[in-house]
Amino acid sequence: MSSANKTSLLSSCLLVKGPKRELSIASLGCLLGTVLLLLSFQFYQDAVSYLSDNQGPMDYFTINKKVEGGALANLGKREDSFSPEEMEAIKKLDGVKRVGGFVRNQFPVTVYIWPTGTVGLGSAAKADLFFESIPDEFLDFVPEEWTWEENSSLVPIMVPKFYLDLWNFGLAPSRIEYPPLSVEAATGMPIEVFIGKSREATLDGRFVAFSKRINSVLVPEAFLAWANRKFGQPDAGDFFFLWKNGVIEGPPHSRDELGEFLEDPDFGSWEVSPLENPAQRAPAISVLEKRKESLRPSRIILEISEKPSQSLLRHIDENGYEMNREFPEQDKIRQVTRALLLGMTGVGGLLSLLSIATFATSFRLMIAQMAQHASNLILLGFSRHEVSRVFLSRFNKLFLLILLASVGLGYGVKQFLVAEASRFNVVVEGGFSAQSMLALLIYAIGFLVINKRVIDKSIRELSQ
Amino acid sequence: MRIELNGILPDLLTPKAVEKSQIWGKRIVFEPQSVLLVSAQSGMGKSTLLHFIYGLRKDFRGVLSINEKSTTERDFHEWECLRRESLSLVFQDLRLFPHLTAGQNLELIPQKNPAAPSAEEMSDRLGVRSCLDQTVSTLSHGQRQRIAIIRALRKPFQWLLLDEPFSHLDDENQETACRLIQETAQANDAGILLSSLGETPSLPFEHRFSL
Repeated sequence: MSSANKTSLLSSCLLVKGPKRELSIASLGCLLGTVLLLLSFQFYQDAVSYLSDNQGPMDYFTINKKVEGGALANLGKREDSFSPEEMEAIKKLDGVKRVGGFVRNQFPVTVYIWPTGTVGLGSAAKADLFFESIPDEFLDFVPEEWTWEENSSLVPIMVPKFYLDLWNFGLAPSRIEYPPLSVEAATGMPIEVFIGKSREATLDGRFVAFSKRINSVLVPEAFLAWANRKFGQPDAGDFFFLWKNGVIEGPPHSRDELGEFLEDPDFGSWEVSPLENPAQRAPAISVLEKRKESLRPSRIILEISEKPSQSLLRHIDENGYEMNREFPEQDKIRQVTRALLLGMTGVGGLLSLLSIATFATSFRLMIAQMAQHASNLILLGFSRHEVSRVFLSRFNKLFLLILLASVGLGYGVKQFLVAEASRFNVVVEGGFSAQSMLALLIYAIGFLVINKRVIDKSIRELSQ
Repeated sequence: MRIELNGILPDLLTPKAVEKSQIWGKRIVFEPQSVLLVSAQSGMGKSTLLHFIYGLRKDFRGVLSINEKSTTERDFHEWECLRRESLSLVFQDLRLFPHLTAGQNLELIPQKNPAAPSAEEMSDRLGVRSCLDQTVSTLSHGQRQRIAIIRALRKPFQWLLLDEPFSHLDDENQETACRLIQETAQANDAGILLSSLGETPSLPFEHRFSL
């Protein structure tokens, strides 16, 4: 008799219908438990890799000088921007990795946002706005469209992600004319950007990305530098008489207009004087040097290695700066994610344990039902190993099915959640990682070993 | 294979039964290849003796040795090997699998005896060839007894233990069965230990013990 024949004969000798209800409950529990464990293990990896890819705002802080008093206090205000020396001092502090300055717009900005997707169709959301720019290296990511040249027709704009949430959950539900917007729809909206008090220029703008790191309305550095130069509002102190060869030349010139004369070969010999004191002449070049100061940042962004160091905190305190953490609430998201995953692992583990127990009981029952035949087989000289293998192979087949179903179900759930997440602009890779599959394998081996021991033990008890 | 009984006393036996017995409490050696009969009335421990030798029960005092090794010293694995290769028992209650066919019952053995005739030939000789495709539950007790005898012969053995194997067989069938048993045991160089209620089957017994 071939061994396959013998095995099938053994199997039909010990053929018994197990307790159907218990076995289906155990299978369901095992299926759900395995799916939960698999998913929580996979989600944990996804969360870790997502948070490290999109390195959260945890390590980013902005610093500004304290704003004191109301409108009147500004009359005697001290310098509120950071000099290169001050920035250098901050850069040298413990734990500070990088320092970058925010550049602000020096002209009024009004935007009309057309949520319908067409300018002039429906109603626009109108807002007086500000622009800031920071070095690209501080952005969470640099979108493809994040370039600007002087003749570009489109101004790329990046706003915090929560602006979109405010729109969707705050503004849109209360105003029929504003539809809720997905990220794709929001990036497709035309924006009219009016520059200057009397709207000297109109540009087309578009949201190209939503930042999770920088709490500001950002435009590319190149654009802001150009716009500040072109539309910057000089105050009275920024107009000068231009002296050529000891004579005032034409009407007063703004600092920027003077800058345009820089190319003139005679520029070095020209002089300027303030409007209120024409006698106080100085070389024209000195005005341009001062111009640089007006472009100093009033707010700076720091990347620090972990938590702010003591020396950084002391420095901030001593100099009367203010420090803001960018989006500290994301820490909570991390905590909530961790708690959720722990919960999933706990429930999954508990379900798996219960299913192991139910499987064990069901198989003990099956063996008990077949006790007479099983012990007769052993008396005929069959080994306990041969007899328990019959039950074990039945369990293995069932467990393999459950395992395959778990992977299938888990995969489906994961793909569904990945699709859902992408609607919230969270990009997560689909499928399962090699680590998850390895963990599943270890789990499966553990499950099999436990049940094998239970079955072996029942058979041993039979034959004693 | 030598079987030695040294002062074996079943725990549940009455002192009176021990007194009369030629086996209980005595020193007896079953030499290899001998043909032995143990006869007694019901309840004197015929099955018990065979079960002790087959390792099914261990509730006795004294020393039972198989091949110079005490049965109590043998672990489960050794018993597995003994039952697989050296001992074959026709149970009084047969212990066939009633839900399988007679043929399947004959196939369901861990190891085949190369010195035994084929299942077909043996069932032919014992007149149960036509029953091979029937499930055991549909067979008469006499037919089942013959199937159980054939199954025991199909296993390899050095001792064939038979526990009242002919209780439901007529004389003619008994005769045929005895011939088959004797031939197969001889082909295996094996001993035979048969228990009966009093009658003596037609086998060349060297010793008769009464329990």
